[in-house]
Amino acid sequence: MSEQKLKHFVPTPPRLPATNEQNLLRRIQKQCFNSIGNSLLTISVLVLIYYVAKSFLDWAVFNAVWNAATRRECMDISPDGACWAGVIDWFNGLIYGRYPDEEQWRVNGGVVMGLLWLLPLMNRRIAYRNSILISWITLYPFLGAYMFLGGTFGQDVGIIHMVFTSLAAGYFILLYLNWMLCAAGQSSLPERVTPLTSKLFRRGQHMNGFLLVWAVLSILCGVALAQVNLEPVPVDRWGGLFLTLIIASFAITMSIPVGILLALGRRSKLPVIHWLSMMLIELVRAVPLITVLFMAVTLLPIFLPSGAEPDKLSQVLFAVCLFAGAYMAENIRGGLQAIPDGQYEAAQTLGLGYWLTMGLIILPQAMRLMIPNIMTSFISMLKDTTLVSIIGLFDIMLMARNISNDKNWIGLHTEPLALISILFFVMCYGMSQYSLNLEKRLKAHRS
Amino acid sequence: MTLSDPQAPAGKLSRPAIEIDNLNKWFGSYHALRDVSLTVGEQEIMVVCGPSGSGKSTLIRCLNHLEEYQEGRICVFGQELARDQKSDRFIHQTMGMVFQNFNLFPHLTVLQNCTLGLTWLRKKTESEARDIAMGLLERVGIEHLADRFPGQLSGGQQQRVAISRSLAMDPKIMLFDEPTSALDPEMVKEVLDVMVKLAETGMTMVCVTHEMQFARQVADRVVFMQDGEIVEVGPPEQVLLHPQWDRTREFLNHIL
Ligand SMILES: Nc1ncnc2c1ncn2[C@@H]1O[C@H](COP(=O)(O)OP(=O)(O)OP(=O)(O)O)[C@@H](O)[C@H]1O
Ligand SMILES: [Mg+2]
Repeated sequence: MSEQKLKHFVPTPPRLPATNEQNLLRRIQKQCFNSIGNSLLTISVLVLIYYVAKSFLDWAVFNAVWNAATRRECMDISPDGACWAGVIDWFNGLIYGRYPDEEQWRVNGGVVMGLLWLLPLMNRRIAYRNSILISWITLYPFLGAYMFLGGTFGQDVGIIHMVFTSLAAGYFILLYLNWMLCAAGQSSLPERVTPLTSKLFRRGQHMNGFLLVWAVLSILCGVALAQVNLEPVPVDRWGGLFLTLIIASFAITMSIPVGILLALGRRSKLPVIHWLSMMLIELVRAVPLITVLFMAVTLLPIFLPSGAEPDKLSQVLFAVCLFAGAYMAENIRGGLQAIPDGQYEAAQTLGLGYWLTMGLIILPQAMRLMIPNIMTSFISMLKDTTLVSIIGLFDIMLMARNISNDKNWIGLHTEPLALISILFFVMCYGMSQYSLNLEKRLKAHRS
Repeated sequence: MTLSDPQAPAGKLSRPAIEIDNLNKWFGSYHALRDVSLTVGEQEIMVVCGPSGSGKSTLIRCLNHLEEYQEGRICVFGQELARDQKSDRFIHQTMGMVFQNFNLFPHLTVLQNCTLGLTWLRKKTESEARDIAMGLLERVGIEHLADRFPGQLSGGQQQRVAISRSLAMDPKIMLFDEPTSALDPEMVKEVLDVMVKLAETGMTMVCVTHEMQFARQVADRVVFMQDGEIVEVGPPEQVLLHPQWDRTREFLNHIL
């Protein structure tokens, strides 16, 4: 190549894009009043909104009665306002059902404990976040059930339930001790015990410390819990929002593992598993939830040995879990289909077996793809659980109907339903916002 | 048997790493591999080339149990592969594979991509795995990207991550299926440099590639395939400069 005189390339300096600055008024004008037709439309919609909002607020706030002893009294004070007094009177029932008044702190305590268990997940830097989630699914239900059901260790509480409740309590305390130590910049409890365990056992350094601390704490908790004596509250006294939330959260949490198993089963190469999963999914999806509920309540006892008839709640939980699982299975299958073959091949060449490939590579990606669908399913499960009132569980809907049967509040339908609508809106809207947030965060990872 | 391969370079075939004996494979009724026989010696660098659809990928995927085959025999370090696709521990421990389109795990960081196999299969602790993976990433020159996600890397960087991911499992044989075909010309070099360095460490390598410069520089033998058959095998200067078959010459004229 000859040594030619080349021109030197100098890049043009970057500049900012031309901004078309607009104030708010300008934007409104441009978007809502840019033509006569559009202006008319905007104005008529505004007027409509005004009338709907005004009449609702008149009814719900300005003309409402908050203090009255009976519906009659309400009507006398303000004939065309809401009678919130009835809802307030029955508020406890709407939330707790027929749970005894003096024991309701246990419901609050149990629910708060469940939320606290999940709280460390908010801290993104905490290690082993998956194990917290898994422990919540596998251990917390025992602790929660103990709180809600009550009973004394060794008498009404069975041995298995006793052991798992202690394990759960131990884990819960360990979780918070570790978190506090971690926040204070100290090494965690298992790390402190590890030198001791490594003297006792030769192998498996890390887990042993954790297991030892957990076991000791669990035994301590078990001994402590054996001293307390919680009044037993049978399942048929549970009700209200509390029961609705129990059924919904059970359906939501169980739908994921059940859905994963059914989806994998449906894709399995073994014909028996394939056909079984497919039949179960198609059967459940082809039938309305009410039918599944009725079938569970009437058919399940027939299949079980006589004498072992489960209570109505267990039957309902079983049915809801099956139903939610079948729908979730189809969601997850959709996600699985979107994963390219290359991912399976890469995992296989690394030597990951079937379960590791699924658990570490395929499912995490498939679930991420399906977050919007999964969240939609969750929301509809939450709403669907109100159907259980039909087979006689005292969930929030049945309690609302009970208000209108109360001789003091005869015919009070609208107000309880309005309250329930607001409650459900808050919960479902929250879930949907959370899912949007989650999606955005996960997307940020991948260009 | 095939050890007395006339074209084998002396010294390198002291012990065969892969022996392929009369391999036949069909996709339905399409005969994709026809009586393929080939021996790859330990520490040998074998480059496979040929026109599109000639069965290069199929051959290399058969070696790694990603495809099943119907007739013939493949032995790896004397151990025979089962014909069906059952995942085989020994094979996956012995061989690593690098794909044309990288196939990195997009939900894991670069580092996690490399440590995954170490922590879950080799039972290394987190910090041991990290050290090994960082060492490998350093070798391919991207240790500063360890905490990124694959989607945030260029193609060349992704392919180098894929190579590190395979090397982390400490394979004896590395298979490459057109590792540079999906890359822009500027990135091809950075990946080839890594492969040349790897070749110098004495790794046994089977590379499907059209980078003839690479073949001339490091290959011990070059295989030319056409329509599922091996047409020519020999040292690069022989196959690439003095091919004995018209089809080989035509192909080489086409790509050089
Ligand atoms: N899964 C499959 N099903 C059916 N036919 C296939 C399949 N995979 C490959 N083939 C066929 O087998 C032949 C060989 O394919 P292969 O992918 O091995 O070619 P190749 O040499 O790698 O080509 P390229 O250079 O384009 O990658 C092709 O004709 C292809 O159509
Ligand atoms: Mg190919």
